Amino acid sequence: MQEYVLKTNNLSKKFKGHQALDKVNLSIRKGAIYGFIGQNGAGKSTLIRLVTGLAFPTEGSLELFGASGEQALIQARKRMGSIIESPALFPHMTAHENLEANRILRGIPGKDCVPRMLKQVGLEGTGNKKAKNFSLGMKQRLGLAIALLGDPEFIILDEPTNGLDPMGVIEMRELLKTLNRELGITIMISSHILSELHLMASHYGIIHRGKLLEQLTADELNERCQQYIYIQVNDPGKAAAVIQNEMGTADFEVMQDGAIKLYSQMEKPSHLSSALFSAGLEIEKFMPMGEDLESYFTKRIGGTPHV
Amino acid sequence: MYNLIRVELFKLRKNRSFWTLLIALTVLSLAYPLLYYFDHRSSGKPQFTGAEFLLTFLSSNAYVIKFGVAVLAGFFISNEYATGVMKTIASSGNTRGRLYMAKLTVFAIGAAAISLVFPIVSTVEVTLLSGFGQLPEGSGAIFLLRVLVLTILYTAAYAAIGALFTAILTDSGKTIGFSMIFFLVIDVALAGIGSKLKFVETLYKYSIFKLTGDIGRLNIESGDWPALLIAPILTIAVSAILGILVFRRKDIK
Repeated sequence: MQEYVLKTNNLSKKFKGHQALDKVNLSIRKGAIYGFIGQNGAGKSTLIRLVTGLAFPTEGSLELFGASGEQALIQARKRMGSIIESPALFPHMTAHENLEANRILRGIPGKDCVPRMLKQVGLEGTGNKKAKNFSLGMKQRLGLAIALLGDPEFIILDEPTNGLDPMGVIEMRELLKTLNRELGITIMISSHILSELHLMASHYGIIHRGKLLEQLTADELNERCQQYIYIQVNDPGKAAAVIQNEMGTADFEVMQDGAIKLYSQMEKPSHLSSALFSAGLEIEKFMPMGEDLESYFTKRIGGTPHV
Repeated sequence: MYNLIRVELFKLRKNRSFWTLLIALTVLSLAYPLLYYFDHRSSGKPQFTGAEFLLTFLSSNAYVIKFGVAVLAGFFISNEYATGVMKTIASSGNTRGRLYMAKLTVFAIGAAAISLVFPIVSTVEVTLLSGFGQLPEGSGAIFLLRVLVLTILYTAAYAAIGALFTAILTDSGKTIGFSMIFFLVIDVALAGIGSKLKFVETLYKYSIFKLTGDIGRLNIESGDWPALLIAPILTIAVSAILGILVFRRKDIK
């Protein structure tokens, strides 16, 4: 039987007549890295705020580690950490003091976890520097260290790579994967950088206008991301005719720049390339490609890509 | 609850606004008696003794209490909404009621510390300059203890009201502005309405706003004690309950 860390049952939230969440049934399995995708205002942060207890549902309910009901949820939240929208820091305190304050707040015994966490996120050398003087990337890392205090079983991260430089993004990704792999921490992560999510998530949830459109695993996503052969030749019209006549398919499209995307007969690439060559066409590009998460998401919500 | 109070104390200790207020008030409390000291010296008037200074200027401390509560409410509590820290606190796995009570407790401690600066620092300074002198007959060490306890109790009552405002307003600027205006205007407003409505007059008579003025009274009749003690305790209880009710159902942004 699958063990779920989070389950929501028809979870709904209404703000002054606006339906921010509409009967959302979401579930996150233990040990998953759950990529939560949606445009701005789609309801991602609202759902995260309901899970973390910052807001209250208008309808529906949620279960954390199998616990439901107000008091049980409060207790269950001791087993999770989060960064919601932006890292919540005491600006006039150092990194060490920020962690110490959170350690006391959560009643974590022993002070040794503070320097350990600082080292884990690469902030051990910040000394007396106040958090308000940190770069955005350092703030993100300190926020993550706070979320990880007390060895939570489940962490929720809302845009954790905001403000990180490319190396920082890679380090964050590797750290999250390590935490998931080695410590078994379940991670729910929302990010605008879908390519980044694609590199780490094991499960996805797509939310649009308050409704959860779809939940799928990484394998299912890969299956659904349409594969095609990308062809660029000197005469697209002639190439189209060759494909139709020689390959016997019309399952392709000619793009505005003249490139051709062939969606079927992909198992015979050498046959196709020979046919094009024999027709006297000059082949500039010929490669198998697939849709990525971004294009899948865009197609799924049926709109323009403003994630 | 113990951890929550510990963390609030930790934050208070690290709160720059709290220390700025304490230091500024200490400087002012040192400067204020000096003005009188030099003025009396040049005019040849007899100098205030510590006891006289305390009795004469204790009523002014009400302004310090109100100002201190308003500023600290804004910078110690409401500021946590702006920095986002309130989100971490609210999602830490503690009930909202406990979180609120821990905040209120430590906020009241901070406000009490601020409220004691002026009477203690000024009186000690004047005592060093001109001696303590004598309190009027019938009062003595018990008077000083009473002033201390009542100052703390009334400050806690003001702090409870200030904390309620933070739960409602959640913004430092709004909290400071509204609290200051409220604390400054409430006396005049209640007195004015009380002159027309008997009920409001009675309410004002037994409110902390009116009774704060009695903290420095030399002789308090035994019949006045219940009101003097019950009013702030009731204010704390009612404000805390209302604050918890507001905070419990509040969406934290």
